[in-house]
Amino acid sequence: MTTLAPVAPVPETAPAARSRQGRPRLWRGFVFALAALYFLVPLAASFWFTIHNETTGVSFAPYVELWTAEGFLPSLLLSLGLAAATIVLVLLLTLPAMIAVRLAVPRLRPVMEVICTLPLVVPPITFVAGVSRSLQVGGEVLAPTPFWATLNAVQNQDFPLVLVFVYVMLVLPFVYRSLDAGLRTMDVRTLVEAARNLGASWPHVMLGVIVPNLRSALASAAFLTLALVLGEYTVASILGYQPFAVWIVTISGSKGQLSVAVSVLSLLLTWLLLLTVSGVSRKKGQ
Amino acid sequence: MSTPRIAGLIAALTVVTAACGAAPTAQAPTTAGGVSAATATSAAQLGGLDKLVEAAKKEGDLHVIALPPDWANYGEIIKKFEEKYGIKVESENPDASSADEINAVKTRKGQDRAPDVLDVGQAFGFSGAKEGLYAAYKVQSWDKIPDGQKDPNGLWVNDYGGYVSIGCDAKKIGTCPKTFADLLKPEYKGKVALNGNPNKSGSAFAGVWAASLSQSGSLDDIGPGVQFFKKLKDVGNYNPVESTPATVEKGETPISIDWDYLNAGYREQFLPKGLDFQVAVPSDGIYAQYYVQAVNKDAPHPAAARLWMEFLYSVEGQNLWLKGGARPVLMPAMTADGTIDKALADKLPPVEGEPKFPTEEQVTKAKEDLAKTWDAAVAG
Amino acid sequence: MRRILGALPLLLFVALAFGIPAIAMVAGAFTVEGSPGLGNLALTLQGGYLLALGNSVKLSAVVALLGAVLGTFLAQAVVTSRSTVLREAVLTASGVLANFGGVPLAFFWVATLGNSGVVSGLLDLPSGSLFTFWGLALVYLYFSVPLMVLVIAPALDGLRPQWREAAANNGATTWQYWRYVALPVLTPGLLGGVVLLFGSAFAAYATASAMGAGTVLPLVTLKIAAALSGDVQTGFENIGLALSLDMVLVAALVMAVYLPLQRRSTRWLQ
Repeated sequence: MTTLAPVAPVPETAPAARSRQGRPRLWRGFVFALAALYFLVPLAASFWFTIHNETTGVSFAPYVELWTAEGFLPSLLLSLGLAAATIVLVLLLTLPAMIAVRLAVPRLRPVMEVICTLPLVVPPITFVAGVSRSLQVGGEVLAPTPFWATLNAVQNQDFPLVLVFVYVMLVLPFVYRSLDAGLRTMDVRTLVEAARNLGASWPHVMLGVIVPNLRSALASAAFLTLALVLGEYTVASILGYQPFAVWIVTISGSKGQLSVAVSVLSLLLTWLLLLTVSGVSRKKGQ
Repeated sequence: MSTPRIAGLIAALTVVTAACGAAPTAQAPTTAGGVSAATATSAAQLGGLDKLVEAAKKEGDLHVIALPPDWANYGEIIKKFEEKYGIKVESENPDASSADEINAVKTRKGQDRAPDVLDVGQAFGFSGAKEGLYAAYKVQSWDKIPDGQKDPNGLWVNDYGGYVSIGCDAKKIGTCPKTFADLLKPEYKGKVALNGNPNKSGSAFAGVWAASLSQSGSLDDIGPGVQFFKKLKDVGNYNPVESTPATVEKGETPISIDWDYLNAGYREQFLPKGLDFQVAVPSDGIYAQYYVQAVNKDAPHPAAARLWMEFLYSVEGQNLWLKGGARPVLMPAMTADGTIDKALADKLPPVEGEPKFPTEEQVTKAKEDLAKTWDAAVAG
Repeated sequence: MRRILGALPLLLFVALAFGIPAIAMVAGAFTVEGSPGLGNLALTLQGGYLLALGNSVKLSAVVALLGAVLGTFLAQAVVTSRSTVLREAVLTASGVLANFGGVPLAFFWVATLGNSGVVSGLLDLPSGSLFTFWGLALVYLYFSVPLMVLVIAPALDGLRPQWREAAANNGATTWQYWRYVALPVLTPGLLGGVVLLFGSAFAAYATASAMGAGTVLPLVTLKIAAALSGDVQTGFENIGLALSLDMVLVAALVMAVYLPLQRRSTRWLQ
């Protein structure tokens, strides 16, 4: 599962549903029953799997054990750190670019669209294949140059910046779409011109004028990035790092129940994050 | 430019230059006679084992990779090495594969984080030597190592190995299978598992090859092995789940084709939990593979790396591998002069027959054939 | 020049972070034993590799179509429901499941329908049922259907009830309403959904890998991983890069078919 979906805001105006009694209700009930069965049974079964063991009966031990499991906290913290860095970097890169395109160079718009659709055509596994090869070749080619140490610093085991760079590419389409939708709801040109005429510097314009109006879009972009980075397995495992998702797979080889318990927890975490994001956007009234 | 801007620029430049620098040319410590540890091809060249120990202690660190603590008793080996010489061993990424190790060597060339020594599959021994990644080093017991199990130039050497074995949970399975022919019996429906995809997992690859030998194939042709697993799938005995300690414990993979030392490890691990995991080396398909030790040519700690090799090939090191259920490469020599730990040696599953080791060409051909034919044969 | 200053960092970043790996991939795919050649690509179109590629495409197509249909039904049920609590619950759940990582998803399904899964015991399933083409499709639907719901719900919301009334007033049956009024309006969204579902199923690696039965799942993503990292295949990196190029070409082909179709269908709405 490597792609992200837009977080659909709950539409404000629910259309007056024309309810015709009888058949539609039956049909809807059937659809919901089927959906509930399909989506809820695996969750229930997994939860049962974690608390029930042939030898020890029902026990919540895995949920207690996981906090002290070796590698749990380090990998989780690493993932959270990577997510934070990714969010910061992707917003720093994308927002000024989108503003510039809207205000100054509208001709770059198609370029932006292409750039932000490109990662969708290149699946993460193929991307990491190219990255892995680039790192190898780069190590040899750059050896006599000062950039050699940079290349190595970027692959630092404790905080691999190379992962941040790859994640930024992966998350770019979704952040772009999110910010684009947000920017469309505000009159960027007028606001910026007004602010500049009043003497605001560019940083002030960005932070004081644009960002507050984009709160919902930013929250949505942040959620998508966080969800992606926390769940990311492909790139990290091929490049040989051990953030959260990779750790879960590693531990599953020795402790089956524990890994499913961690999975249940991560589902709860994602759900909580989404609720927070919806809360933020709803508060702003967008 | 305004002050904050200048400050920002300076900060940015500092960060950038901090992470800059070309690859350092190796400054290896030299001993008397001008031979540096980085180019020594034997302990004698440095003036004896004590000089090597001295140089290694000065380096103080050893960087290893892909050594799981419960694989052939590496956990204890690392601990004993640290205690004996006071050298800190950093064990990185224990679950890395051989390809990952080679990757690490290549991408971290010249860097302090590069691995010093490697324990890789035989195929990577060949390929790494060809690519010039390894340093030539002959341990003191070099002459006692059989000829087919070391590179004539000392670039790599077999360390320990095992046979393809059939591990079986005796409590869940009535009579455990002892040969490949047994595996096709109807009572084992849905129970026979490999420990991974043969295109990715070394022991699964060996399992297919052993099956091939049992079907009167040869080291030149892995085809009969693929056919065997196809038959296994057709009669419904093949279990697609990859066997891991978790699946063995849970009983999901009651019959697991894997290295004998890994299956023996499961036996030891789960005996206290009441599992009776039996290990048998099939008499109709005898396939052994030894892993390969090599020293990184650009090892950041060359003396410690060589000392590690000496430790592994000493009587103590070899017996520690034996304790992990693996067969150390010096076993024939040590059995002859009585230095082998007899009790441990007797615990190994009996093997009837002599193993043959494939050449580089045979390995390459088998890999290519497998990549082309495995999926079609076994996929559902 | 000053004007594009804002866009410069992004452009530079993409040029480096995407351009370099892309070039490496193409260069490697066309390098056979150190010199340029088509050998790798030829190899990837034979035997096990072709099987894996074909299987991946087949699986993604099936999941995309099934997911689109099921997702649309579910979305329609949600959108026409009067209970806002239900709508919010389903849309939130869709948001979570569509963005959920593949590793936990695999574990959930193995715990449920795997060989010693909770439900497989109850249903007495034959061993290994989860690790088949349809088993994998079942798992993939878990993120595909929510994804489709998220994509198509806004479009379904946009179907004005007045259109329905107008159609009914003109004597149209429900079927005719859908065929001539609703579906054409929904087509851009439906097409987009199918393409998105195909892309995400095609690219899936974590789920398949974490299910722990890689031996019987011929998927091109698993093949690439085996070529890049593992204990068996040395010197197969260029084949891995060639396979990657194959994947990109397939995805690009789907895009190339989709874009003109989408333009045509939106033009209808202008």
